Amino acid sequence: MSFQATAGTTGLFVVAAALRLLLFTAFPGLPNLLTGRVEISTPVTSFKRLQEGLFLYNHNVSPYDGGVYHQAPLLLPLFSLLPDPTIYPIFTYILYTLVDLLSANALFKIAESGEGGASRLYSSPRKEKRWSGYVVAALFLFNPFTIATCIGRPTSVFTTCAILHAVAKALSGNIFTSMLSLSFAAYLSMYPLLLLPPMVILAYDRTYNYKAPKSLAQLAGMCTLAVGVSLSLLFLSSYALTGSWEFLSSTYGIQLTLTDLTPNAGLWWYFFTEMFDSFRSFFLGVFWLHLSSYTPALTIRLRQQPLAVITLLLGIFAIFKPYPSIADTSLFLSLVPCFRHVFPLLRYSFVTASVVLYGTFLGPAFYHLWIYAGSGNANFFYAITLVWSLGLSLLVSDLAFAVLRDEWEVERPEMRGKEIRQI
Amino acid sequence: MSADIKNDGDSKPAFAEATVSLPATGIATVERKEPPPEKEADTRRRTWIVVSFWLIAVFVGLPIWWNTTTIYRANLPLTQMTDWADGKACEPVFPLRIALDVGALPEQEAQNLLRLTQHALDDLNDFSGHHLRLQLGQAPTETTPQARDDSNVALTIRLAPGDAAHTASSSLHPHLPILDVQYPPNSLPTANSPSSGLATYIATQLGSTFAEEQNIISYLLETSSITPEHRPKGISQEVVDTVSKRMTRSLKYSQTYHLTFSLFTNGPVPSSWDIEAAIDEYLKPVLDMLKPIHDFTIDTQVQLYASPGVQSQVLGKEDLSSFINAAEWPLSPSIGGAPTVNFIVYIGNQTIGVPSETSPGETSQSWMIPQWGSVYLLAPPAEATHVPSETLKQPILTFTSHLLTLLGTPQSGSLPLRLSTLARIRSADLLLRAASSLGSLARLTLALPSISIPSNVADGVVKTIHHLELACASLGGAKSLEHARIAEAEAERAFFEKSMVGQLYFPDEHKVAVYLPLLGPIGVPLVMGLLNEIKAWKNRRSQKLKAA
Repeated sequence: MSFQATAGTTGLFVVAAALRLLLFTAFPGLPNLLTGRVEISTPVTSFKRLQEGLFLYNHNVSPYDGGVYHQAPLLLPLFSLLPDPTIYPIFTYILYTLVDLLSANALFKIAESGEGGASRLYSSPRKEKRWSGYVVAALFLFNPFTIATCIGRPTSVFTTCAILHAVAKALSGNIFTSMLSLSFAAYLSMYPLLLLPPMVILAYDRTYNYKAPKSLAQLAGMCTLAVGVSLSLLFLSSYALTGSWEFLSSTYGIQLTLTDLTPNAGLWWYFFTEMFDSFRSFFLGVFWLHLSSYTPALTIRLRQQPLAVITLLLGIFAIFKPYPSIADTSLFLSLVPCFRHVFPLLRYSFVTASVVLYGTFLGPAFYHLWIYAGSGNANFFYAITLVWSLGLSLLVSDLAFAVLRDEWEVERPEMRGKEIRQI
Repeated sequence: MSADIKNDGDSKPAFAEATVSLPATGIATVERKEPPPEKEADTRRRTWIVVSFWLIAVFVGLPIWWNTTTIYRANLPLTQMTDWADGKACEPVFPLRIALDVGALPEQEAQNLLRLTQHALDDLNDFSGHHLRLQLGQAPTETTPQARDDSNVALTIRLAPGDAAHTASSSLHPHLPILDVQYPPNSLPTANSPSSGLATYIATQLGSTFAEEQNIISYLLETSSITPEHRPKGISQEVVDTVSKRMTRSLKYSQTYHLTFSLFTNGPVPSSWDIEAAIDEYLKPVLDMLKPIHDFTIDTQVQLYASPGVQSQVLGKEDLSSFINAAEWPLSPSIGGAPTVNFIVYIGNQTIGVPSETSPGETSQSWMIPQWGSVYLLAPPAEATHVPSETLKQPILTFTSHLLTLLGTPQSGSLPLRLSTLARIRSADLLLRAASSLGSLARLTLALPSISIPSNVADGVVKTIHHLELACASLGGAKSLEHARIAEAEAERAFFEKSMVGQLYFPDEHKVAVYLPLLGPIGVPLVMGLLNEIKAWKNRRSQKLKAA
């Protein structure tokens, strides 16, 4: 690849923004069509539900009455500042476009830092082969998943933006800004809290001073405290806003107990529609435990490459979290190009790409067969979400393999290019 | 992902860095190149990873498993429950008080007659569950029928001297619970006579008046869960058969019934009927009398061009059961939880070919469908488009009598007497059913030690027992039905608790199906990882020992 690393991303951003605004305005039916798609809007991120909550909020009714709105309360004042999206949708469009550009900007910084190829403790022999921030940001901005997400306007784009900023700030050494950003992400969607350990290590590595090394435990304590304080402040302000603690059970409780079984691209909903009632809470525990058990293990194993841990975890979340959507996939896919140097080590790139494309095209078709045509049933859609998750998990495990192999080849340079076997 | 990737010297020769040497024997052998020993740091890291998974499994997973799968079993008063089901807790006795209104007779003679009649009654009555007790009292009048409520008097015998010289005669008052007895003036017992013709006569009359009620109550006891030693003497098989036939016809007890009156015509006319007026005039009085026992809601409908399920001109006996066109006629099974009783007036030119021999009250135009309702075939009226109220008189009266049968009212006696009997039968029925539900629940609890019992089931049981006690204490009284009804509803609710019904059939083998898909994929790597770590640790220790 012969992309020139340039700092001038203005042109890129203008084109990306123009493309989005063009799609918004040239196809006025498109935003509402995409908002209704289960692959984009989940019960905890849907824009439609946000409007319902907004309506209740603006009429001085608790937004959680009626059990439709399951999103964080602080989104409400933000959106009530905007003019009514049904009359002046352009302001919403501009907001979402801006959020995408902010995410791209953070991604640009992440890629430019070169953390993917060379961290404090580890430097890849292939690190020269990498894409510039310009390319990585462009891959994010022109990824069809990102564009579809932006037009479908789920609130998960705010989480995406917050996570990317947390990573970018950790890379630039602004530990507290990074933790604040992570707290925002956790406040909006809860699961980013699991990114705290690798984020702490990333921040630790980037602020490491060889002359006066600080202890990791100390920094970890500070970071946890910072996240704790900022989360408490966010919760308190939410309490002040809604006047009750009801929002905790209506936002995080829904994710923890999966009471809304609206189909989505994930694996949970079908499983829990079939579940024996008496084992439901047990399996909720198991599923959440499964999701969170990756964090410590991956952090320990890839201690030398914290950005890889974050990327892999985001991939795992995009597959195994309770209400995943393509917004989570696009976040994962946006960080993958930072590991351009291990692409030659990927073994299943063709299979992965085919399976993901297969899922992308057949998913909506099968959903249509089930819900609208009536010629299929829930199993059709669930089967295709299985394929989709299979494709993503192939990508995650293949990337993990490539990163590990890259590490291993530093240790055993004589084995470059040789086939390996696990013993 | 915790597995390390290492090379294997024994891989395919094309890739292995094999060195070929020629030993003294002259045979070429491939020397295996061993992978370099694992670094200490790598081993330690792997240990940490295995430990991290195990820590989560043990310190978070186990508590979750324990908390979410422990079975909550509320304490149930099992002995009390089985006592109720076996009839040990409550003697099913219905003391019925009969008032004797002697009119102008002097006190002394009245007392005498009372004593003798009671004797005769006790001699006659061999069924201990049903006790008739006489007392002196005033007969209620048309203007103050409520007087009897305070004293719980089931029936009043009004004695009056008659004209007949030798024989006494009796008749039931049609609107009040009064048995009028006219006796020859000379038949009054003298002060010390051991028996009297009049007393025996009254006792026999009372016996026959309450015979049906006795039979039904004995039948209910017979078919209940009460053990034989706790229930009164049995009844003959013959009686059981007749009563059971009648009981299966009647609807299950409910506080409220929904009555649906439907007019079906086989052509375009008639399209309207004076059903409201007809109901008000002919049915309302009976419904008002039933008020203490049941509530009723009523709706009506008209359907034109309704074709019956049987097309033949003359309906045979077997046609009657398929006459209702269930597929096309809009007869909803139940509205709002209350059972629906359907009354259908069908206007067509079909007739019934079977003369009704069993019940003379039934005309050859109507028949009753057990537990469902009744059908009346009406000839097309003269005034083609409208059915006037008068034409509906006969159908509604027939429906009224059918309704009483469907509600389980006894056949004999005057209406007030039948209704008070109905209340007693229903309260006995509900009491026995609630008791038997309690027994089933107790047996279920003992039989399935793995079923969870939510606390609201325990609450329901306690409430049931409380109301059963109240009902039992007031058996035969007015409050009894109310308490028995609550007890039965609570017992049903406790037994059919949603979270328990799902577990009724949940054998332990199912748990294998629940846990295995989980323990397989997750457990195998976890356990294998742990075993490998232990093995490696033992190796290291033995090497250390060797070295030392």
